[in-house]
Amino acid sequence: MFPNVGGQLGQLIRDYDWSATPIGPLEDWPQSLKSVTEMLLLSPVPIVLLWGEDGVMIYNDAYSAFAGQRHPRLLGSKVREGWDEIADFNDNVMRVGLAGKTLAFRDQELALERHGRLEPVWMDLDYSPVLDETGNPAGVIAIVVETTEKVLAQRRVQESERRFRALTMASSDIIYRMSPDWTEMRQLDGRSIMVDTEAPSIAWMDDYLLPEDRAATQAAIDEAIARLQPFQREHRVRRADGSVGWVFSRAVPVTDENGALVEWFGAASDITERVRATDHLRLVINELNHRVKNTLAMVQAIALRTFRHAANLGQAQKEFAARLMALAQANDLLTGERWAGASLFSAIRQAVEPHQHDAERCTIQGDDLNISPKTALALAMAMHELATNALKYGAWSNDHGLVAISWTVEGQRLLIEWRERNGPEVTAPTGRGFGSRLIERGLAGELGGKVLLHFDPEGIRCSIDAPISVVVGE
Amino acid sequence: MTLRILVVEDEMTIAFMIEDMLVELGHEVVELAMRLPEALEAAQRADIDVAILDVNLDGLRSFPVADILIKRAIPFAFATGYGAAGLEEAYRNRPVLAKPFLSDDLRKLLSQAISA
Repeated sequence: MFPNVGGQLGQLIRDYDWSATPIGPLEDWPQSLKSVTEMLLLSPVPIVLLWGEDGVMIYNDAYSAFAGQRHPRLLGSKVREGWDEIADFNDNVMRVGLAGKTLAFRDQELALERHGRLEPVWMDLDYSPVLDETGNPAGVIAIVVETTEKVLAQRRVQESERRFRALTMASSDIIYRMSPDWTEMRQLDGRSIMVDTEAPSIAWMDDYLLPEDRAATQAAIDEAIARLQPFQREHRVRRADGSVGWVFSRAVPVTDENGALVEWFGAASDITERVRATDHLRLVINELNHRVKNTLAMVQAIALRTFRHAANLGQAQKEFAARLMALAQANDLLTGERWAGASLFSAIRQAVEPHQHDAERCTIQGDDLNISPKTALALAMAMHELATNALKYGAWSNDHGLVAISWTVEGQRLLIEWRERNGPEVTAPTGRGFGSRLIERGLAGELGGKVLLHFDPEGIRCSIDAPISVVVGE
Repeated sequence: MTLRILVVEDEMTIAFMIEDMLVELGHEVVELAMRLPEALEAAQRADIDVAILDVNLDGLRSFPVADILIKRAIPFAFATGYGAAGLEEAYRNRPVLAKPFLSDDLRKLLSQAISA
């Protein structure tokens, strides 16, 4: 009985009507054909024999699994008809094989229909001629190892690799790799923010960190290693231009297929600008808080002073409100210039304008200067007191009195004068109120200069003499 | 006991309020300095028992004034809108009053400064 080996295919070959093929009935097969058929039936590797000019197909169980639904129709068929979708490819195989030569393909892609539809299949293909009793090539034997899964897996890896490269290129982050215990930096791509590390380095902490930050960073690393959890930290770094900056750094542990820690892979973004902005904001908030507290203390001082010796509560309330308005307007003056300073002209005009709308009765003259916020505030408060007094007792208490405010710069000193005329005759007061104390002592103290109130009979005169270095703004 | 006091405060209205409060408490304000140069000069020279210092004098810190007072072994306290957080490390143990404050707070601050 032939063949007496070969599992399912052995049975199928025995039962097949070979007389209807160019090979002829089994009993007429030459010994060479029988030998090679038995050899391939014994092999666990997918093998197909293409016998004769037409390449009549004889194969084993392993090949039948490869052939899918094309089996069992392939058995005994001519190869160009059996695999009609790759007839050209097999014509070449037959031509070369029957000429006594071999063919080998690695990961050869062919489109085959094995499961009802055409699909790409990759194979390692090895073709060798099979000789007959006369020593001439009578067929071609093919070892067919399908590599589709391997090829697709490789493609997935390559695609993932390309995507990873794209990701690292798309991100402006600094990318780094560390040894499992972080003693060695394997690589750092600094993105021109930080100096690159191209070869493994154990001096990376010296290169990138500030000495005073090392202990805290090491503690965060130790914790990440102990828990095998991502390392995440905002810390200072030395940047490529030599400056100290801030990064948000995050690294994840990378393990091999056995779960063993291979390295840490990290990305760090430069957050220097953000940290600076946050610091600045904190500073501004602190300063604002201070100014608010200070302003409240000023309001408290004005209230205490206004109400302390008030003979008439209604009158005192009006004075208090007016002083608060003066303070508020002076603040507006400063916020308009972002607290960096204000114009001398505006400071004076804003302080006196609410009390005297008639510009002819109030002249303001002098070359404008930029004055410091503190000078503006003190001057505005003093001018408010002078204007209030003029309205109550002085030049603005009748219908034709005048106030002339003027200033000059002489050498290193700013001289400001408030001069009233055409008002009622002035008599020197017996005591000093809040207003005159504020003007004479307060303004003088703030400006580091001299402020004098003269009670001339024809009108009050106030002379301010201050060093220019104190009053001018930045 | 009447204390002779130096007040360093750059805001004139607040300076006068502190002065009024101290006078009402029965003390004497012998110097009122609103700027750093005057404050340094006064700290150097004035015959005082205690000083009350604002921290920010038109953008300058008053700590050099404190240093002079330390050398002269004159007690002092801070009154500042920044509160204790605005003090440099070396002065953190000094009594400090956050603005705004009441007359009674000022009285306690003075006794703290004197007994420190």
